[in-house]
Amino acid sequence: MNGVLNISSSPHTRDRWTTPYIMRMVVLSLLPATVVGIVVHGWQAFGIIALAVVSAVASEWVFNKICHKPDTIWDGSAAVTGLLLALSLGPKTPLYIPVIGSVFAIVVCKGCFGGLGKNFINPALAARCFLLISFANAMTIKPSLDAVASATPVGALKALEQVDITKMFLGTADGVIGSSILALLVGGLLLWSLDIIHGQICFSVLIGFTLLIGLFGGEGFNPRFLLAHLCGGGVVMGAFFMATDYVTSPVSRLGQFIYGCLIGVLGGIFRLWGNTADSFSYAIIIGNVCTPLIDTYIVQKPLAYRKVGKTRPVKKEPFRIPRPVIALTIIAALAGLALSGVYSVTKGTIEAQEIAKETEAYKAVCPDAASFANADQAEKALKEYEGKTTRVNKAYIAKDAAGNTIGYALNVSSKGFGGTVTLAMGLTADGKIIGISFTELNETAGLGMKADEPAFREQFNGRGGELILVKGTASGEQEICAITGASVTSNAVISAVNAGLDLYETTLKGGN
Amino acid sequence: MRNTFRGGVHPEEHKELSRDAKLRQFDPQGEMVFPLQQHIGKPAKTIVQKGDTVLVGQRIAEADGFVSAHIHSSCSGKVKAVEKRRVLTGGMAECIVIDNDREFTPFADYSVRDDEGNLSENDIIQRVQDAGIVGLGGAGFPTHVKLKPKDPEAIEYVIANGAECEPYLTCNDQLMRTQAPAIVEGLELVLRLFPNATGVICIEDNKPEAIHAMEIAASGKARIKVQAMITKYPQGGERSLIQAVTGIDFPISKLPADVGCIVQNVGTLMAIQRAVLYHEPLFRQCFTMTGEAVSEPSNFMVRVGTSYAELLEACGGIKPGTEAVKALAGGPMMGIAMGSLDVPVQKQNNGLTLLAEDPVAEAEKMMTACLHCGRCTTVCPVGLMPQLMADAAIAGNLERYEKKLYGLECIQCGSCTVACPAKRPLMQTFKQAKAEIQEKKKREGGGQK
Repeated sequence: MNGVLNISSSPHTRDRWTTPYIMRMVVLSLLPATVVGIVVHGWQAFGIIALAVVSAVASEWVFNKICHKPDTIWDGSAAVTGLLLALSLGPKTPLYIPVIGSVFAIVVCKGCFGGLGKNFINPALAARCFLLISFANAMTIKPSLDAVASATPVGALKALEQVDITKMFLGTADGVIGSSILALLVGGLLLWSLDIIHGQICFSVLIGFTLLIGLFGGEGFNPRFLLAHLCGGGVVMGAFFMATDYVTSPVSRLGQFIYGCLIGVLGGIFRLWGNTADSFSYAIIIGNVCTPLIDTYIVQKPLAYRKVGKTRPVKKEPFRIPRPVIALTIIAALAGLALSGVYSVTKGTIEAQEIAKETEAYKAVCPDAASFANADQAEKALKEYEGKTTRVNKAYIAKDAAGNTIGYALNVSSKGFGGTVTLAMGLTADGKIIGISFTELNETAGLGMKADEPAFREQFNGRGGELILVKGTASGEQEICAITGASVTSNAVISAVNAGLDLYETTLKGGN
Repeated sequence: MRNTFRGGVHPEEHKELSRDAKLRQFDPQGEMVFPLQQHIGKPAKTIVQKGDTVLVGQRIAEADGFVSAHIHSSCSGKVKAVEKRRVLTGGMAECIVIDNDREFTPFADYSVRDDEGNLSENDIIQRVQDAGIVGLGGAGFPTHVKLKPKDPEAIEYVIANGAECEPYLTCNDQLMRTQAPAIVEGLELVLRLFPNATGVICIEDNKPEAIHAMEIAASGKARIKVQAMITKYPQGGERSLIQAVTGIDFPISKLPADVGCIVQNVGTLMAIQRAVLYHEPLFRQCFTMTGEAVSEPSNFMVRVGTSYAELLEACGGIKPGTEAVKALAGGPMMGIAMGSLDVPVQKQNNGLTLLAEDPVAEAEKMMTACLHCGRCTTVCPVGLMPQLMADAAIAGNLERYEKKLYGLECIQCGSCTVACPAKRPLMQTFKQAKAEIQEKKKREGGGQK
């Protein structure tokens, strides 16, 4: 034996869980909300987050130095406090606010009470409330200029106005930086599935709040109404990240359940009958203050003292769905919902793009037109085409800058070899083809696709009346030469064009 | 069906180091040291003097009273001295030192089976007592005392403890793989004392070979069944096993027999079989030499009194390139940190774990204030609230510690300390609080007299 052997009391092993590990996981679970916040709200949000985190860590370091305490910034709790505070601030908050808040949180709420584990209220929340009271004006979340709503969603909720739940869910509505419910839920469920936060707390907060709002909110258990309340005002953030703070929540399961319900119910009461949008912060702080009381009186007894009888059924390992599976399922469901939300948000944009593309095709076949107007006289005729293989889809009147009719633009289609063939065709005012342009053509490469080559396409230019397809060489006025080896495609194009010409003859001609 | 208890932790197992090392007999060459106290109860009284010649299995110290155990020599040779020697707890204790003649001449022939099939209950208990058997799981409680509960007919379960939940240790695993019939026979002998009992062999499910071997050995025995347990510490604790098998929790003031259970380690059961059927006294037991700092981690049938240092040499010494920073008699959960390896193996010892890194020293650097995360409450197999107990103990509120938080129910398994992310020395705090309360009670009790 070369060295001296260490002596210590058993046990001689330790779990891999450490305080910094827990703090790292909390930061990781807040990352989705942080990223969404920065993406939606821009660089000022990033500045607020960075300033809050940096000043929280710095003030802890300075405080420990001044008070001759050991350095504790490596445990990560100061960074978590700073991040939580930043995420509960508005994106347009002046930059001195997060600094003041972080210093207050770390020095007054945490340091002065003895540091990590000794604070009686959640430092981030206490700082937020301090800022709300002291800097009411700077803390007000101002709606962005282009927003139609005149207040934040919670303000709107209080005024019983309609709110956009999808926007609140995704975090694109006006609100604090960390207001993306989807991102917060992903993080919160991650923490829950890793066993870092206690399900008794976060779920009892949500249940207590939902029950109160449902019973006394005046709208009953209307899911839309409940969802709107749950998505707003920091309920999710509070339930998963603030109320579950270890230091300021009770230890026993029963105590945690009572504490969670208390917060949920208080939050609901403040929301319904209070006059502030920040009700949930106050509810959690009151819960924090009740924690020592709960911990003193609600203590679990050892197993041997819980049951009166001596025997109870043999404890078999019950079948349990693993928590990560539950969390993943919920996240997948939420992501699905969110994607459908994204679709509904972007649907308008996609439509606008399609219209622009179509207009471009018309411009190509009617180069002289300045604008296109709906051909009202063709409306009835267009209806008759619906459902037919060869049809005219749309008809527009092409007008010059002065508003005179200079021709017509039609969208026609027929069935080709590889699917529907759709094309835009331009007609002069006297019914001669100006040009055709394909908008949908999925034919065989080298054969049917030759339809889009000038050799075939430009045959139509200047023609009118009813066109006939011929093989080999075209000679007559009405004849169009088919594409070799692609008679189905050629036929489709001719039929579609003829349908357009027919519509001109029957309804458009002469009208304006 | 896998059974288990509530709570518990799953420390890293490290059993792969030695789990497939076959049990081998080890015959030491150096002098042998026999402490007179290798059990719970009164120390034995020596019956040999300096210069006496003794043989393997010969009794050298006699039990002093009922709760005590005889001690037998594990080697042949001359008694060198009866003097104070250092033992593994670090203190000095009265020991018999024998100069080993390396012949290992047996005192009697221990290979003759003496089983007329009509042994009475008293015969069985007497033979166990004569063999000086103590609980080999670690506690060292004299086995004959355990086998004599007030009401043998009230015993419903005899639990064979093959859980081996202690990380690193694998000797019980190897013992069950190779000596399954002997263990089952030992269990049958114990069952003869308790007419209404069922024998349940409990093994953690990280030992599939052992479970298989025991199932084969127990097949066709109506009163014996094998039950796989979830691998979780402290599964091998008496109370955890009873909770897993019967569902009963009982306060620390009661004994397993009070709730109809007798728990015996598989090693003890084999010793019972050897003692009752072959008159072989307890002078050897299974033993694991393991740890990252050991060259060849091994499982031995080791003779009581062998020096730990000699065992380490038999395993190739300290692994080159590593440094032994901590030596544990036992595993990392319940083991005692040793200051020196020049101490003898005692009956209740079942392993040496030589660590190349000290997780406690590492953890102390990471210690923060208590976060009140509640992990200790989740893992406590007794259902206590360690963090509130620690708060009360540190604040000196022993009244709350004892009455409101049931702090004296702590079985000192150390699960809370392992699980604590803030790396608080919880168990040490509880040990101290318990000692203070008992001290106070003693003082007050003394005042009344």
